[in-house]
This record gives sequence, structure tokens and C-alpha cells, in this order.
Amino acid sequence: MSERGTPLKTAQSLDRAPSCQAITPPPKRGRWPAGRKGVFHGRKRASLLFSLLLAGAALALPAHAEPPARVMSLNVCTDQLAMALAAPGQLVSVSFLARDPDLSPLHREAERYPVNRGMAEDVFLARPDLVLTGTYTLHNTTQLLKRLGFRVEEFSFVQTLDTIPRDIRRMGALLGREGEAEAMAADFEAGLAEVEADSCEPRPTALAYEQNGVALGKGTLADTVLTAAGFRNLATEEGVEGMAPFPLELVVEKKPDIVIVPGGDGDAPSLGAFVPRHPALRALPATRIGAFVPRGSWSCGGPAVLEAVKALHALRREIAPCRKAP
Amino acid sequence: MKPLALNLALALLALALFLASLAVGPAELGLSESVRGLFAGGGEAASIIMREIRLPRALLGLGIGFTLGMAGAVLQGFLRNPLAEPGIIGVSAMAAFGAVAVFYSGLAGAALYALPAGALAGALAAVLILMALAARNGSTLTLILAGVALSSLAGALTALVLNLSPNPFASYEIIFWLLGSLKDRSIEHVWLALPLMAAGWLLIALSARAIDALSLGEEAAASLGIHLARTRFLIVAGVALGVGAATAVAGTIGFVGLVVPHLVRPLTTRMPSRLLLPAGLGGAALLLAADVAVRLVLPAGELNVGVLTALIGAPFFLWLVVRARREVF
Repeated sequence: MSERGTPLKTAQSLDRAPSCQAITPPPKRGRWPAGRKGVFHGRKRASLLFSLLLAGAALALPAHAEPPARVMSLNVCTDQLAMALAAPGQLVSVSFLARDPDLSPLHREAERYPVNRGMAEDVFLARPDLVLTGTYTLHNTTQLLKRLGFRVEEFSFVQTLDTIPRDIRRMGALLGREGEAEAMAADFEAGLAEVEADSCEPRPTALAYEQNGVALGKGTLADTVLTAAGFRNLATEEGVEGMAPFPLELVVEKKPDIVIVPGGDGDAPSLGAFVPRHPALRALPATRIGAFVPRGSWSCGGPAVLEAVKALHALRREIAPCRKAP
Repeated sequence: MKPLALNLALALLALALFLASLAVGPAELGLSESVRGLFAGGGEAASIIMREIRLPRALLGLGIGFTLGMAGAVLQGFLRNPLAEPGIIGVSAMAAFGAVAVFYSGLAGAALYALPAGALAGALAAVLILMALAARNGSTLTLILAGVALSSLAGALTALVLNLSPNPFASYEIIFWLLGSLKDRSIEHVWLALPLMAAGWLLIALSARAIDALSLGEEAAASLGIHLARTRFLIVAGVALGVGAATAVAGTIGFVGLVVPHLVRPLTTRMPSRLLLPAGLGGAALLLAADVAVRLVLPAGELNVGVLTALIGAPFFLWLVVRARREVF
């Protein structure tokens, strides 16, 4: 069931391919500043020209002066930051995946927003001032939207613990919510520093084992979370870069101390979910297998990742208490 | 070749490939280590790898290959059609659709038994449709065209169900259902599929005498005392059970049932009943060989085994079509 061709997915990359049909350019929108009617009443030519220049400048710099009033998020990870930071009424819709409890820590909040399927048509109809999306997914949609004149801000899908405070602050700046973002980012950094200050030997081995037997290796969010919580990531030590298939036989051979598997699969089964629950893993006598991190907490780089770090840190202290300093 | 000698030779070949299947995998186990692991039990890594990962895979390769080979042989004999095969005439595709429809809809939770339940129903529907068509109009072409239509329809419906699933990972499993794989199966899959496949083998074996008589034509067979309705029931149920169970745990693996009977037939007396066992053993050998090969070609990621069987089988199918045009089969 785990095939080589199977696209390796992170929550960050989960979107539907866009359909690009039947798109026409949006009609020009009135962006002239209010009060421009006065410009032509008996003024001198120079003044008129100057006013036109001013108006032109106003046209070239839309929205930056004041926060965007209508923001639309197309990616489950930008959804998290946008829902956490946006002012009431500012966020007009989030991606449909934002309601999936396995991918979206803020899935309850997402019920309050309309959802989009990440299609260019959705955006076109909603006419947002700002579109938030991921760099990896919906690439065609992003290009199309930019060509149609929408302001699109992309967030990198390569996320680690280091990128999270940066992304929070950037989202705050984009939404005009710098204060809230700064507080959130500082909280995150402080919480993380507290956990990292408590690191000690020995460091047990852990493997984040996803659907279809895909392991999360070097450069992934999970890798940095495991390291921060005081584990060694088996996948990284075995040379896995990013997300890659990790043969079941190797898991058994290397006997990691813990295997972190996806939590419940809800009411929509898939065959890939059987691989991390294979009887061969359960037969390992000393290996602990479980979800261990709160549901959906580390699928996206957002403030909820701290919950995953804390949960794993507590687990590490339980299974491998710190050696006393000599 | 004497039937006994042929069966013995094919059985030895299948056994050798079964052992090869046990010996191949990403974990590098030595020979003595793997033998000890297989029989010792306990919590050692070698033992878990052999008993929980490689043994189920090899057993399924053996059983599914046997089923597909035998099903191909009985369908070719009964329908008197050299191109008949569970994959080509759409039985496997319908079985896959049945399994997908029952499993991904979540009707049975995430229970594994939903897979064979749906697959058997799909395979049964396919065999009944094809038999109804073939009974009215016995031409080779009708059956193959009906199979093409059934396969495309089932493939499209499979894709539809997978795309409708709210689980975002489901739509990527279409490659498994269309091209089959034996990767990461467990002993649970063996218990699920093997008894059903064995029941299928038994039913097909019971039809052996009747398909010999049927090679003389239906009227001649009836005059020899062959009960046609009973024969049809045995073959329909046998193929549906066997192919349904095989597809439920391994997806659609095509062409095994086509290639093997043709390869083995010249070595037999050409009596359809005498082909069943050798075709089964040959099918097991072919599938095991293909499954060993996919692990050697791409050790980490692995190719779908159906890719390999199609690479062997599709050119063979074309060759059969060309040959069938030249001579009346």
C-alpha cells in the first residue's frame, strides 16, 4: 500500500489541485482615494498634474497603509496563523482542511468561518484584499491569482521550530496585528526555551512514522520538535531527508524507544493508516507506540507545536530520566 | 511432459521463489539468522521481521499467484477463449471497486474484513455479468470488449470513491488498487484471504471434469451427463471467491492468469482440467518472482508488483492477439 509513487504529504502540502477554467480577469476596481472629485475644479495645470501623481501613487500602493479588510487563507497552515491573529471580521474564509481535527489544531475555530477549496474561482468570487497560501501547494493557483491582480502572500511549507516565531510575526505584520503577533511569538519562544533548557542525557530514539510507512527526517518540523524535546530522531540518523518511505523492516531492526504514529483516523479509513499499526511494530517488546502528541498539534508550524514539544518532553522524562551529573 | 513431473518441477520452482521471497528485504539478515528467526519466535528483531513481515508477504505471493494462475486457466477453458483472464475481463477491477466502495465509505469502521466482503461482491457481480454475456454470444471479441468496458467503469468508480473520501490520503491509494502490491502486509491479511482463496481453489477443482467435457461443446458435454448449471455455479463462485479475496488484500495484479496458462499449456496434454494445477503453481512462481524483483529493483520505495506483471503480460497479450488473428483458436 505504500508505493514509491505515493506523494509524500505534509499537512502543509495538502490542498486540492486547482481548476483553472472559466477565469476572466476581474473588472478594474475603484481604488481612487475619496475626495478626488474636487481635483478638477478650477485648479492650475501643475496642481492637477500633482494631484494625478498623488492619485497614481495611491493606486500603486493599495492596502499597505491600512490593514487588509478581507483576507482569505488557502492553506491549512496559513489558516492556523490567520485564525489566531486576525481581527474580528477580517478573515473571510479558510481552507476546507482547517476543519480536519487531524491536521488543524484550530479546527473548532474553523467552524466559524466559511471554507474554500483553494480554487482560483473561490478567490475570484470572494474578492479578498489579501490571499494567504503556501509556497508548495496550489502553485498554479498562486500564479493565476497574481496575474489577475490579487495580492498573494506565500508562506514556506518548509517549517521548523525556528521558522514559527518568524511566521507568526510576518502574519501579524500582514494583518496589521503586530502587537498580538509579537506577544504570541514571544510566548512561543519563551515556552520553547524553557523546554530546551531542561535537556539532558540520555537521549532516547524516536521515530515519527506516518501513513504508508513514511518517516519524518532531517529538515522537518517533527525532527526539530523531537530534538527540542530531548529525543534522537531515528529517521534523521538513518539518513532520511524530509519525508521518505522508511521500511517497516528497518524500524524493527533499529528498535526505536518510541514510535509516534498518527492518532485516530476518524470515520474516513485509509489503507495507509494500517502501516504504522502493523503487528510487527507491536511485537517489539521495548518499544512504545502511540500518538503521544496532541491531535493535529504538529502538523503545521504554528503556536500549537509547543504543545507537541511539551508532551514529548514529558514523555522523555518519563521513559529516560536524566542521568545525574558526575 | 508427464503431469506428475511437470507439477513437481513447478512446485519446486514455486518453493524456491517462496524461499527467495523470504530472503529479500531492506533489513540485511544472514541466512542462518533468518532461518533461526523464522522458527525461533520471541522478541528478536530477526524473528519479528521474518514472521510478521516477510512470511505473510511470501504466503500471500504464493496464494494469490496460485489463485490468479488457476482462475486464468479455468476461465480460458470454460469460456473457450484464449484471452480470458481475471484482470483482462474486469473481474479484478470490479473486485477492487467493491473493496474500495465498502472500505473507504467507512461503513465497517476501519475494519479489514470490509475489504474481502466488498471485493467478493464486486468479483461476483463481474463474473455474473460476463457469464450472462458469454452465454448468449460466445465470441472471443464480445467477452474481451465487455471486459474492457467493465474494467474502465470499475477503475473510474474506484477513482471516484477514493476522491470522495474525506480522508485526504485516500485518493493516493488509487495506485495500490490499480497496480497492486504485497508490501507491508501482515499475517492478518493472510488469515483474511487464504481461507477464501482455498475455498475458491476447491470449487474450481470440482469443475475440472466438466470443463474437459465442455471443450467438446455444450451440447456434447450435456450428452455426456455434465450438469451445465452446476458447472457454471462452481466456476462463478470459485473465481469470485479466489480473485475477490486476492484483490482485497493485494489490489489488482494483472496478466498472471493470462501468461501462465499459455506458458504451461504446451507442456500438458492440453486437457483443460490438467492445466489447473500447473497453472496455479506457475502463477505462484511468477508472482513470487515479480515480487522479489520489485524489492531488488527499488529496495527502499518499491515498485508496484502490478507494474512488473503488466510489463511482462501486456506484450504477451498483444502477441496472443496477433496470433489469434492468424489462426482460429
